[in-house]
Amino acid sequence: MLRIFHKTNYGFIRWWRVAAGLTIAFIAAGLVTFGITGGVNYSIEFTGGTLMQVQFKEAPDVAKVRSTLDAAGITGAEIQQFGSATEYTIRARDEKQVEAQAAGAEGVSKAIGAALDQAFGQGNVTIVRTEAVGPRVGAELRSGAATAMLIASLFTLIYLAIRFDWRFGMAAVLSTSHDILVTFAFIKLLNIEVSLTVVAAILTLLGYSANDTIIIFDRVRENLKKGAKGQSLSGILDRSINETLPRSIMTHATTLAATVALLVLAGEVIRPFAMVMAFGVFVATFSSIYVAGPILLWIESKYPREAGAKGRAALAEQAPVRGGRPATAR
Amino acid sequence: MANLKYRVLLIAALFAASVWALFPRTVVERVKRDGVFVYDTVQRVPLKRGLDLQGGMHLTLEIDESKQSVANKSEALDRALKVVRQRIDEFGVSEPVVQKAGEDRIIVELPGIDDAERAEDVVQKSAFLEFQITDETQALERAVARLDEIAKAQGIQVAAAATADSGKAPTMASALLTQTDSTKKDTTVAGTTADSAAKPPAPPVGGLFSSNIQPGQIPGQYIVPEKAFPAIDAALRNPAVLAAVPPGKVIRWGVDSLGSGTERFRAFYVLDARPIITGEVLTDARPNTDPVEGNVVQFTLNNEGARRFKTETGKHVKDNMAIVLDQKVITAPTLQSAIGRNGQITLGGGSLQAAQDLALVLRAGALPVPLKVAEVREIGASLGQDSINKGLLSLVVAVVLVIAIMIGYYRFAGALAVLALVLYLAYTLAMLAGFQAVLTLPGLAGFVLSVGIAVDANVLIFERIREELDAGKSVRMAIEEGFRHAMSAIVDTSVATILSGMVLYQYGTGPVRGFAVTLIAGLVASLFTAIFVSKTFFLLWLDRSRGTQTLSI
Repeated sequence: MLRIFHKTNYGFIRWWRVAAGLTIAFIAAGLVTFGITGGVNYSIEFTGGTLMQVQFKEAPDVAKVRSTLDAAGITGAEIQQFGSATEYTIRARDEKQVEAQAAGAEGVSKAIGAALDQAFGQGNVTIVRTEAVGPRVGAELRSGAATAMLIASLFTLIYLAIRFDWRFGMAAVLSTSHDILVTFAFIKLLNIEVSLTVVAAILTLLGYSANDTIIIFDRVRENLKKGAKGQSLSGILDRSINETLPRSIMTHATTLAATVALLVLAGEVIRPFAMVMAFGVFVATFSSIYVAGPILLWIESKYPREAGAKGRAALAEQAPVRGGRPATAR
Repeated sequence: MANLKYRVLLIAALFAASVWALFPRTVVERVKRDGVFVYDTVQRVPLKRGLDLQGGMHLTLEIDESKQSVANKSEALDRALKVVRQRIDEFGVSEPVVQKAGEDRIIVELPGIDDAERAEDVVQKSAFLEFQITDETQALERAVARLDEIAKAQGIQVAAAATADSGKAPTMASALLTQTDSTKKDTTVAGTTADSAAKPPAPPVGGLFSSNIQPGQIPGQYIVPEKAFPAIDAALRNPAVLAAVPPGKVIRWGVDSLGSGTERFRAFYVLDARPIITGEVLTDARPNTDPVEGNVVQFTLNNEGARRFKTETGKHVKDNMAIVLDQKVITAPTLQSAIGRNGQITLGGGSLQAAQDLALVLRAGALPVPLKVAEVREIGASLGQDSINKGLLSLVVAVVLVIAIMIGYYRFAGALAVLALVLYLAYTLAMLAGFQAVLTLPGLAGFVLSVGIAVDANVLIFERIREELDAGKSVRMAIEEGFRHAMSAIVDTSVATILSGMVLYQYGTGPVRGFAVTLIAGLVASLFTAIFVSKTFFLLWLDRSRGTQTLSI
């Protein structure tokens, strides 16, 4: 039997301060860059505007592309190489461009196409993809995505809260919220373009990370039920994490394998999705150990359970009536 | 073990059904052959590919209320939907989608379209046809001073770069036009009234209108140099300017720019606001090629329309009648005699295809409300194919990696998990085919990802079995316990992620919806394969090797 991380006895929990420092620093870094550069790099579907993916016969001079667009009245376009040296994306979405699209989203893309054809010669430029989004649709997609994130988070949180007794539920909820926050910081730090696909990745992560926490907490609950004598909760937590460690490593390995395959092979369009997913796999592991655990400990110390076998039994049965008690226990 | 037999039977039956659902089959499809659409049978895997994978065009059209508000939107949208659908059907695309979205939008999906601009035009063209007599009273000349004042007050002027030339351009224009102007006067405008022949008041020098427009070849037509076009166009959209346009008249631009060489000109027309007839009385329209006129669209009117058209054109013989499509003047021929039921629209230099498209939109009828494009997504077929290739490659690599990890670590049990994974792939794809779900690029990515997540449940179970074995339980007991304990966690994962997927489906657009569907289908399939299928495999193995005390896991 091939085994990794078998019968380990790492003291995970005692490192919680370091972990908290790391994660807070990371989130802070995200917030600071957010403050400095302002806003998130939203994709065309959210900002409104025009995106064109253009394939040139031979690698073009970017300055020429820019001057061509400027001459055509498409000022402030973002021109970026996309994959190979002959492929570029052009994003026209400064205020003027977006406003022009209120009258009809197709106008700007036609102007760009015609200008490029004229400057580089017909047949030397192929437009392989066009996305043109009017400002109203952009605003709707933006609010739709925000609503989706909110509702999905809410559903997940409610599910977690119902699934466990309130202490576990609260810890799981906070840990999952932490994951979302860290993922936002990651997106901001790497300046990943936030599209609907990336939103999809974040929502998938939500489920994935909640799942990780659920598995460890299930084990904690089980170990509590067994009634490990004289063991502190932090000891039980450590033991539970160690016991589930092989599982965590293995599931993350398989998920990561699929994610890396996407990251490397699936092309430019999917890359932001794959990056967020890959990062999320690490975050899910990290938070289920270092965020969910310590928070649970903290909650338990603030609102301790009643000592003795009766308390444990009640806890194991998730007794919902306990919800009212902490106030008096204080 | 009867129970086990049924389990195996169920799994096999489902697998057979999946394979059948995914087997390439012959379907009747509209395909393009030598530029013509024909119905044909083709062999293909019955999985619907989204526009981002097969190439094509997605259009979101929206009721345009920028010019006038629409009272009964839902009714107008229903009628617009019918018109758009008819146009698309005649346009000829394989498997188009035309559907309502929300209360003021129409979604049009045209897979495999290769001339996007033309498609857009056909869909969006209001096709509101009007026949209007051009102004012969020189109403504009009399209003030009007032228009100049308003334009000045509104701060509308020709852009700085252009003003330098503006002095020169009109002179060129008049030089160019004087000749034709005079000849034209003899032939067609001979009958102008004395009133209009009277000299209009001299316009103030330097005004926007007075310095940039020149009378054209026919009464009511005016020529503007290309450089002044944006300013004049802006002025003509300005409400204050519009209010000063002579009552009972409207101003409409011509479709094309005119002139030769480097100097280009635009023409606009002053027309009687009341049209003689509109496109509503049209019953048919056909493209044709006329030896003299070039490409034309011949139209037929209904009884009432024909009667009105005949009376009105009879009154205006020798006048010019502008044919106005979507507020742009296509042509303004001189009426030689009264016209009855049948008429034709000369397209000037238009191609036969332009005539075909115009006939098509006129036949399908005008859109009851103007529609504007709110969103366009256009993906080339080659890019779509490229995405499919890359997606498949990453799928294969992901599967190989996962197989390697599972068999490398869990050995025999891992092999059972891999077998379950194969079933998982078949079940998921079959579900997608069965529900006619659309496979998109994000969907493909979700599918690849789900391969990694699908074995999750197996890992959970296997680790638990190992622990139970460590605790000294028998192989059979360990397997039972392993599945029992892992169950709740597996259900939890699936529920949490399915919830996310459903929300995503609700709020996402096309490609992301594809992702949500794939995710949900994958989770349902993995629930089944992890809990039911792999357990059956273990039970089978236990059955085959009774008394075994070691399990390769």
